[in-house]
Amino acid sequence: MPEVRPFVYHRATSVDDAIAAVGGDARAAYLAGGTTQLDLMKDGVLAPELLVDITRLPLRGIDVLDDVDDGDEVLHVGALTTMEQLARHPVVSDRLPLLAQSLLSGASTQLRNMATIGGNLLQRTRCRYYRDPTIGACNRRLPGTGCAAVQQTARMHAVLGAGPRCIAVHASDLAVALVALDAVVEITGPDGARRVPLRDFYVPADVDPAREHAIGHGDLVTAIRIPIPAFARNSGYLKVRDRASYEFAAVSVAAAFDVEHGRVGEARIAFGGIGSVPWRAVEAEELLRGASVSDTDVGAAGRAALAGAFTVPGTAFKPELAIGALVRLAGVLTGTRGAVLV
Amino acid sequence: MTTYVTAPAVDRPTATEPATATPWVGRDLTRVDGPHKIAGRAPYSSDADVPGMLHAALVTSTIAHGRVTDVRAAEALALAGVVDVLTWRNFPRLAPGPEVPLGWPPPPPLQDDGIGFHGQPVAVVLAETLEQAHEAARRVEVDYEEQPARLALDDAEPEPIPWVPDSSRGDTGAAWRSAAARVELEYRTAENVNNPLGLMGALAVWDGDRVDVHDSTQWPTLVRRGIATMFGVPLAGVRVRSPFLGGGFGAGLITWDYKVLAVGAARVTGRPVKLMLTRPQMFTQVGHRPETRQTLRVSAAADGTLTSVEHRALVAGAVERLPLGLVTAATAHGYACPNVTTSDRALRLHRRYSSAMRGPGEHEGNAALEVALDELAEQLAIDPVELRLRNLSTVDPASGLPWSSTALAECLRLGAERFGWGDRDPRPRSMRDGDLLVGWGVAAAAYGGYELPTSVRVTVYPDGSAAVRNAATDIGTGTYTIVGQIAADLLGLAPDQVDVDMGDTEMPPSAQSGGSALAGSVAHALHRAVDRLRDTVAELVATDADSALGGAAADELELVAGGVRMVGSTDIERWSDLLARSGLESLSSEGTVDGSDTSGGTMARAGAFGARFVEVVIDPVIGRLRVRRVVSVNDCGRVLNPLLARSQILGGTVGGIGAALFEDVTVDPDTGRVANGTLADYLVPTHADVPDIDVTFVGDPDRFTPTGVKGVGEVGLIGVAPAIANAVHHATGRRIRHLPIHLEDLLSTPRDRGAT
Repeated sequence: MPEVRPFVYHRATSVDDAIAAVGGDARAAYLAGGTTQLDLMKDGVLAPELLVDITRLPLRGIDVLDDVDDGDEVLHVGALTTMEQLARHPVVSDRLPLLAQSLLSGASTQLRNMATIGGNLLQRTRCRYYRDPTIGACNRRLPGTGCAAVQQTARMHAVLGAGPRCIAVHASDLAVALVALDAVVEITGPDGARRVPLRDFYVPADVDPAREHAIGHGDLVTAIRIPIPAFARNSGYLKVRDRASYEFAAVSVAAAFDVEHGRVGEARIAFGGIGSVPWRAVEAEELLRGASVSDTDVGAAGRAALAGAFTVPGTAFKPELAIGALVRLAGVLTGTRGAVLV
Repeated sequence: MTTYVTAPAVDRPTATEPATATPWVGRDLTRVDGPHKIAGRAPYSSDADVPGMLHAALVTSTIAHGRVTDVRAAEALALAGVVDVLTWRNFPRLAPGPEVPLGWPPPPPLQDDGIGFHGQPVAVVLAETLEQAHEAARRVEVDYEEQPARLALDDAEPEPIPWVPDSSRGDTGAAWRSAAARVELEYRTAENVNNPLGLMGALAVWDGDRVDVHDSTQWPTLVRRGIATMFGVPLAGVRVRSPFLGGGFGAGLITWDYKVLAVGAARVTGRPVKLMLTRPQMFTQVGHRPETRQTLRVSAAADGTLTSVEHRALVAGAVERLPLGLVTAATAHGYACPNVTTSDRALRLHRRYSSAMRGPGEHEGNAALEVALDELAEQLAIDPVELRLRNLSTVDPASGLPWSSTALAECLRLGAERFGWGDRDPRPRSMRDGDLLVGWGVAAAAYGGYELPTSVRVTVYPDGSAAVRNAATDIGTGTYTIVGQIAADLLGLAPDQVDVDMGDTEMPPSAQSGGSALAGSVAHALHRAVDRLRDTVAELVATDADSALGGAAADELELVAGGVRMVGSTDIERWSDLLARSGLESLSSEGTVDGSDTSGGTMARAGAFGARFVEVVIDPVIGRLRVRRVVSVNDCGRVLNPLLARSQILGGTVGGIGAALFEDVTVDPDTGRVANGTLADYLVPTHADVPDIDVTFVGDPDRFTPTGVKGVGEVGLIGVAPAIANAVHHATGRRIRHLPIHLEDLLSTPRDRGAT
């Protein structure tokens, strides 16, 4: 008699061993913190036949490196570093407030102690249609079958990088801060090592609902390189949600502003909770760079960022909320408004 | 800070003064079950395992309406460990369950091929392990013939709910037309799900025609009756146990399908069967607070005196089972008003079975009424606390009989004082904290008083110890503890000399742990049991030549530590001597109450009353709302244990915050599937959402029973949501006439949530 969903567990002894094990088996998957992978297996969404446990590999740790190309220092974060470890690192809390705040606004302390940075970037969408195998129409899980979320209940779904074929949100808070900081992903795979900017790492759902990111089977995220620009000291992450804790974002915004002599210099803005990928708002940044703090129209910048929004009845409120969140955070970072209600 | 009214000793109309100087009732005893639960020693029903038992997993419908045309189970049956797959074709034929107060159980499951809601059980998979059962359930393929489903409130014709008659007094139409101030509104409340932390489940073990059921229920006595009736076996052979429960909030009051399926599967396979629900199944298998749409017309004279209230509700129900209703009923009893009309109507939709959820109906109806009163107060420029005070009644406005107790006026006055209501600027948007909007809101609350059929047995032993037995479930609120306190006072003992055991139908039958009725019902039955014990002692000593108490009437006897004495005497006749001379190992008596009116029609039985004062703060640019503080003042009659009663009010307040701001089941409009059936997607308040809560009890012991007890479980939730909604209006100037209030309702351009 066949056993119930058997799978083989393999504890990788080295990075090469891990890549060989997963790369050589189309039904294999990596296991790190397990906070998403195991849930999806229990729910019957994923059914790998080989689980390669990478948690013993030497991919933990946080180092500050001089970046030879750019001049800024770079935080080099091993992929198995936990969310909580990164959030509590002094460089992060002192010099990258948007990163610390994004990490600490996610999940719960218990989950952050298990979940890894690499796994966080690769987490699957929370879409309840993707996560329910009894739903037949899901272009992400079953390519070509349609999208139940567009037709049904869609409040926690995407409006950017979204379309009638898929409106799944990328749920990571961390990725929103990282995409604002121009972080780079270090990947090792069957064909060797390479670096991919996080902005190019994800595939928007309106481009290809079935493909979430740029890495191939067997590729292993080994580290993240996070620039530490000086202006990032004046940064923040505002996560808007119904309750005060332990909920995914309805809308979030990460922003860093270089404010000097009453003018905005460099501006970085990224949105979460509204994109099928962590959404870097380059149009908004362009409008704000060089603007005077006193008469900057942040709302116009926000509207430019949301101009291409695809909404359904359940998500119709999101563009306005995203613009409001940007206005609110910009007000704090430019010193023109009081602190956000916590 | 919390203050308590000191609770006087238990009244004992046929007894004497308690032996101890300080009664145990009214004291802050911690829960006797606490150490057992913390140490993992409390035997919850879900912990029950027996050798040889099978695990069951449900296969549930993925359509809302139609019929099952085929169940293909070959792949599931081929898996290792899978023993059987039961469907309507091979599940036992069962009789309908018995009618109980406030409704019928759902029709027995797996009796035919019909489908009435998404999530209805269509098969039960039985396997040696839980994992095998769940994997096999995933592999069962079900074919359906789908029919159009009625899912939206407008899809069904409203029909009366038999146990909730319409009420009408006076002439609302005439009063409305001539009133100085009028408010007319439609109010909507969302579906909420009870979601006790403990997953519900049952283990069934048959032995011939006897069946033993370990169940997560708030009402073992009812489940025994349901199982006996459906399976056609004698009541005497059905034993249901629920000694501890991981919460319920009303989800455990019905003989739900899961327990019937466990019992039936055990009968078919000849092996014990355990069926534990999953968290998503807790959204579909054990009821919920149904969606309502209400209309209210309230009118008043220029001085704020109410002249008419017309309150009508539509309540979502299932095709095969009506909802509880009770949404508008309390409106008839709430305020002094000569012209009042109420009506509840049910809608038979292809939705899951609903049930009671803390403050069932009353919360929803109270929210609409208390928001309407706030609008009326604004229109008349009368302070909303003052408006309520002007319309209070010391008699039940429906019957005209005086309330057996009411301290609602004191709730409102003391609450206003503790909150600092006098500093409120009544103009909307007038109070700020920097860029943030601040709002203060108030609402009154009431929950009816009930006593339900309950029996309690008391036994005394030669060594002076005593036992109390009753089949009720301690839902986790402290019933074991308060029963020990009451018994200690009545028997002249300390609580640790009284062994209290509950939650087993081998014990005297009991009311449910629900409707805020259990503490009062058990307390009253316990009083009667001890009265009878004294009667029995009097009978014994009457024929006992060696007893110093010979010839004493029952009311001349006093029960004290170790034995019995004449009132006023210091000579104790020891239980050991008394029982030995009578040839008895122990002495027992039973007391029973049936809920009948013993006041001779001189008063109306009052329930609990309360007042809620809330401060919210809002960041309008991002729609962020936080409840900053809550003052909750409650008249719950005699408070048996202030520490535990306060916990009930705290929990109710948190539930009210959830109903006001978070709890919202979203149902797919095409299929009726629950779209957010996990605790990640269905939101309840976190610690960070719960502010300081100031709890105070006021009022006197109720006159309706010798115990003076009114309920404390439900009232704490009621009134919280409208107080928050009224505070939101005060902060923003915006009337939001639905629950919950979401962040998008607070944005500068409010949005219809559409399909949500």
